[in-house]
Amino acid sequence: MYKGIEASRGIGIGSICLIVEHDLSFESKHIDDTEAEKARFNNAIEAFKTETSAMAENIRKNIGPKEAEIMEGHLAMIADPTMAGEMTKMIEAGQCAEAAVTAVCDMFIGMFSKMEDDMMRQRASDISDIKISLLKLLLGIEDVDISKVAPGTVLVAHDLTPSMCSQIVKENVVGIITEVGGKTSHSAILARALEIPAVLSVPNITEIVKDKDTAIVDGTEGDVYINPDGEVISQYVIKREEFVKAQAELKKFIGQKTVTADGTELELFCNIGTPKDARKAVECDGEGIGLFRSEFLFMDRPHLPTEEEQFEAYKEAVEIMGGRTVIIRTLDIGGDKDIPYLGLEKEENPFLGYRAVRYCLANSDMYKIQLRGILRASAFGNVKIMVPLVTCVDEVRAVKALVEECKNELRSEGVKFDENIEVGCMVETAAASLIADILAKEADFFSIGTNDLTQYTMSVDRGNAEVAYLYSAFQPAVLRSIKNIIEAGNAAGITVGMCGEAAADPLMIPLLISFGLKEYSVNPVLVLTARSIISKWSKAEADALAEKVLALTTEKEIVELLKASAK
Amino acid sequence: MVSQKVKVTNEQGMHMRPATVFSAAVTPFDSDVKIVFNGNSYDGKSVMMLMAACIKCGAEIEIQCTGSDEEAALAKAVELVESGLGD
Repeated sequence: MYKGIEASRGIGIGSICLIVEHDLSFESKHIDDTEAEKARFNNAIEAFKTETSAMAENIRKNIGPKEAEIMEGHLAMIADPTMAGEMTKMIEAGQCAEAAVTAVCDMFIGMFSKMEDDMMRQRASDISDIKISLLKLLLGIEDVDISKVAPGTVLVAHDLTPSMCSQIVKENVVGIITEVGGKTSHSAILARALEIPAVLSVPNITEIVKDKDTAIVDGTEGDVYINPDGEVISQYVIKREEFVKAQAELKKFIGQKTVTADGTELELFCNIGTPKDARKAVECDGEGIGLFRSEFLFMDRPHLPTEEEQFEAYKEAVEIMGGRTVIIRTLDIGGDKDIPYLGLEKEENPFLGYRAVRYCLANSDMYKIQLRGILRASAFGNVKIMVPLVTCVDEVRAVKALVEECKNELRSEGVKFDENIEVGCMVETAAASLIADILAKEADFFSIGTNDLTQYTMSVDRGNAEVAYLYSAFQPAVLRSIKNIIEAGNAAGITVGMCGEAAADPLMIPLLISFGLKEYSVNPVLVLTARSIISKWSKAEADALAEKVLALTTEKEIVELLKASAK
Repeated sequence: MVSQKVKVTNEQGMHMRPATVFSAAVTPFDSDVKIVFNGNSYDGKSVMMLMAACIKCGAEIEIQCTGSDEEAALAKAVELVESGLGD
């Protein structure tokens, strides 16, 4: 078995087609007839542009417009004056076209591959692609036509370039193995878009395999088997069936409502960190945004974001969601995060200190800029304001008073906003949980943050490995707390949601259904999984399970019972 | 020569797409357009050089334009960067 990086999920079993690296060596020679050499070079450039445009078109049609941008990027690079222009200058000085292409590309590859930024390093591999394509054109080398491989083929290559990917016929290629590339490389992105299992960065794999060898590609685990025995193959045939079945099962939930087995409709939202993530939420079929973390606006920059910048960012997400709910959490920072311009001091106990709503209320001028930005964005869709780290009712009242101040200002300035914007609170502290009935009279909605709720309820630092065993939302104390919060919210007639990791946990979902949770906010990639789990439970079944769970006394017993009862 | 300092505000900094937008917009001008960042000068009409400059969000850059239409080129360049480079 060979280990690599799991880049595209699924199991592929098939016969290998080894894509051999061509010998692209050439003899550097001095050119006398530079005009003829320039013509040869220009022909290669024109052929490159024609080929690349065709590939971009092909990818756009067969994979998607976002993936096609990779090839469009190649076109933009070759059109750059410092690329073809510099190469032409070198040819005019007497270098052959191959040498000019190599020198200019290598200079840029060297420059980009040294950068710290992942996306920039990716540019180095783009330029390397361009260089190889140009050299092949100049040397008259023709590639294996990947579009013609037989059904059941596993492609093995040193690297899978976007140009190779554009030729892949999805029905015929069952797996991909390469020697380079990571989860964010072009080859990984394209393999995922094509839904072909892929394992990347398997050392020396092109030297290990031969054409027609049998291979198993486990893109979920990152495992590769070459010429495995019958037993391993039959194991993986079963695994493949299970995977295909599970995927097909999930696909049935695309575009469906989120309903329990007995027909109660629930809301399934997404957690996002930037306006662009909203697009992902839509792609993954999320029904709204249950948690839009606003910290990204404040981090990695030298000064506070202006009202205008904040407004634009919130508005972008709101417009992408087109009328669906967007719950924006106001600034949730403290002494453990480095935002130099805020001048926060390092604290002994940052998680118990000057942070989140405490900091915001003490710096109300700054906070009002954010509230105004959110209010202005509320004119463009369905926006709610969520206050983090609430521990007493005064905090909710104070934020609501500030929101009213901002509304008055905007009204007198003639700026539009949603008059009925809801202000709710995160319930993520033991204090808030214990006074959930009091808070429910002031807040328009609750959202349970299970990560912090677990940490504060169990008094455990989840980053500390010595005590991490206590960090579990299935601890009886945490479960009782969650139940109490949901019941208090429901009794007061306000919506209760959950935006922690537990909302997507298959073991937790039946308990949440039983407790009466209405809104589940999860990582976009987990939307379909959560919808599928929710569909399997009726209230009566969930209640029966919850009753047994609440009678148990230890976390271990609870998890065991939930695992045994999982659907 | 005319010049102006401006802050890069788009989230991704000078990546492929913003760099393409910038170079495409300033290329039609006759003037030379240079970006000065961290003490180095980069050709603003070159996507490659713009990316090579590794300009991140929040960075302050100076745009220098030299030529017959330098004022117009500078105005366009500054407007683009301030508006977030189409990001």
